[in-house]
Amino acid sequence: MTVLEAPAAPERPSAQDEGQLERATERRNRRTYLALLLPGLLGLLVSFVFPLAYMVRMSFNQGAPDGVIVETFTLDTYIQPLTDPYYWRVTLDTFQMGVTVGILCVIVSYPVALFLARSTSKWRGLLVAIAIAPLLTSAVVRTYGWMVILGTNGLINSSLGGLGLIDTPLKLTNNMTGVTIGLVEIFMPYAILAMISGFGRLSPQLEEAAGSLGASKFKVFTRVTLPLCLPGLLTAFLLVFVLSISTFITPRLLGGGSVQVLATEIYDQTTGLLNWPFAAALSVILLVLFGLIIAVYQRLTKKIGG
Amino acid sequence: MTEPKLSIVDLTKRYAADLDPAVDRLNMEVEEGHLVALLGPSGCGKTTTLRMVAGLMDPTAGSIVVDGKEITHTPVNKRGMGMVFQSYALFPHMNVEQNVAFGLEMRQVTKAEQKARVAAALDMVQLGHLGKRQTKELSGGQQQRIALARALVVEPTLLLLDEPLSNLDAKLRETMRTEIRAIQQRTRATTLFVTHDQDEALDMADRIAVMNGGLIEQFGSPTEVYERPRTHFVANFIGQANFLAARVGAETGRANLAGESHYKVEVDGLGQFGAIGSTGLSGSSHELVIRPHRLNVSLHPGAAQAPLAGTIERVSYTGDALAVAVRIGDQQLHAQMLTSSGDLPRIGDAAYLSWAADDAYLLPAAAQPVRLAA
Repeated sequence: MTVLEAPAAPERPSAQDEGQLERATERRNRRTYLALLLPGLLGLLVSFVFPLAYMVRMSFNQGAPDGVIVETFTLDTYIQPLTDPYYWRVTLDTFQMGVTVGILCVIVSYPVALFLARSTSKWRGLLVAIAIAPLLTSAVVRTYGWMVILGTNGLINSSLGGLGLIDTPLKLTNNMTGVTIGLVEIFMPYAILAMISGFGRLSPQLEEAAGSLGASKFKVFTRVTLPLCLPGLLTAFLLVFVLSISTFITPRLLGGGSVQVLATEIYDQTTGLLNWPFAAALSVILLVLFGLIIAVYQRLTKKIGG
Repeated sequence: MTEPKLSIVDLTKRYAADLDPAVDRLNMEVEEGHLVALLGPSGCGKTTTLRMVAGLMDPTAGSIVVDGKEITHTPVNKRGMGMVFQSYALFPHMNVEQNVAFGLEMRQVTKAEQKARVAAALDMVQLGHLGKRQTKELSGGQQQRIALARALVVEPTLLLLDEPLSNLDAKLRETMRTEIRAIQQRTRATTLFVTHDQDEALDMADRIAVMNGGLIEQFGSPTEVYERPRTHFVANFIGQANFLAARVGAETGRANLAGESHYKVEVDGLGQFGAIGSTGLSGSSHELVIRPHRLNVSLHPGAAQAPLAGTIERVSYTGDALAVAVRIGDQQLHAQMLTSSGDLPRIGDAAYLSWAADDAYLLPAAAQPVRLAA
């Protein structure tokens, strides 16, 4: 029998060695990741998890007059808002306001966001900065601005009155209309930002492809552009909804005390009536509302493949 | 000749008044059923030309005529072209069938007919079984085929392919090349194909338009542009070439029926040779083009008549090919040798070059290219 000389194998680690090396590196990397995460996690624990737990615990206490908190374990703080029609009304109003503001804000922000997302101009960066610049002014200042514009003797009413278009001033402040207008404008920058980051799948080439296949401009928009924007629109809606139902300043100022939502109610209970357990219970209810919406959002995004 | 399927007349695109035009008074006629490659380096205007034909971009001047009808200002959705994009541009929110059916739906074809035609189109690209898949679940090659099916299902007046193979890996690219060409020939779809890859163009096209700086340098069959380049740019861009500055002497006879002649030429430092070129070149300076694989290289003198002696300066062995650079005086010539099991030539070895007069082609243009690439 003859033995053929085998060609010399090139020198490289065997597959097994390589696999071990890979696993070791992976393990080391995982430890590094954990170490890097630790400061952030600790921060969250102290500033978020602990207060949240404290609030939930607080909601089971009993509030006595003059801000005295009786340490106990009762469901009274929940039974009251859940049985009192007034709180049902407030919760429903809050929800309705969130949805209305969310939808309107998405509608008015969409054209701006679409323009910015598509723009290839060298001014794009500047335009985006301008679109979100209102965030540099506090919501309080902008709310006061809206009060000046919408008030009984404000810009709109005096203009319309001066033109003889209306006899009695429109009631645009101290009601839900005013709050809605104010909130829509105040949250537009957030909506625009959320949309721009959510329009990732949109590309001019897809629209061109649709056009070349015979789609008119309108069809291109309804069949390609809009469906591809849906994830971004949904994210923007969710963000604005959450911000709206948790905001307190604008409903308080533009609502002038006649608009009661959960946030203003919680504020009153905390600072006015000093009933912290009750305020905590309302906060938990608001939190549950958030949770529900986020669950719906996740189902929807899965459905539209966002 | 019958009326061309597509005529492009003086088509010009200027992006800005102070820039050179991206496409400069381009003229081209494409015969029905032909696949024409627009070939050139990036920025030569090939994609701009395609986009103007597609209707995705307005020309600055000139006209586009399809089937005898001017469509220069027809909007994109009324042109009935089928376009395949470099990125495929499949709609991510639709499955494969919906993607392919889109063009039919826009043409308001009945549901039943849509179904049949979509199935036929998917079968044509051999992906009939993937109709219900989401596009993101497909590989690059599969997406490419779906894009092709989507463009062809509407029976387009012209099929426009914008670098369709550049996102595929090398192996797949060659398979798809053959497949696209086969489908194109079966459907007889008149096709414009943009590419920067000369192999693709030579392999697939009936005609190649070699573009440079917004101009067509040459428009001809693959063999024409390879064997009879009109300019230095074409000879250089398609395949490899040795260029030698030659003084053209007397015509020594008629070379062939195509009206070409044999000449005696003189190259500084190398001596006198026979060459071939179009008639009437005597007495001026022209560039001589010799393809590397047409140079005979021998490591021993005497194998050919009157060989040129030189030394090997560089050896490049790639398995099925062996390329060498040979220095003769101040000229460096590139040549291909057959690989054999024998010893490879080494740098510094003596080498002897020769070539046939028919393989030394005189460029018809003057010695300097008319327009240098920017």
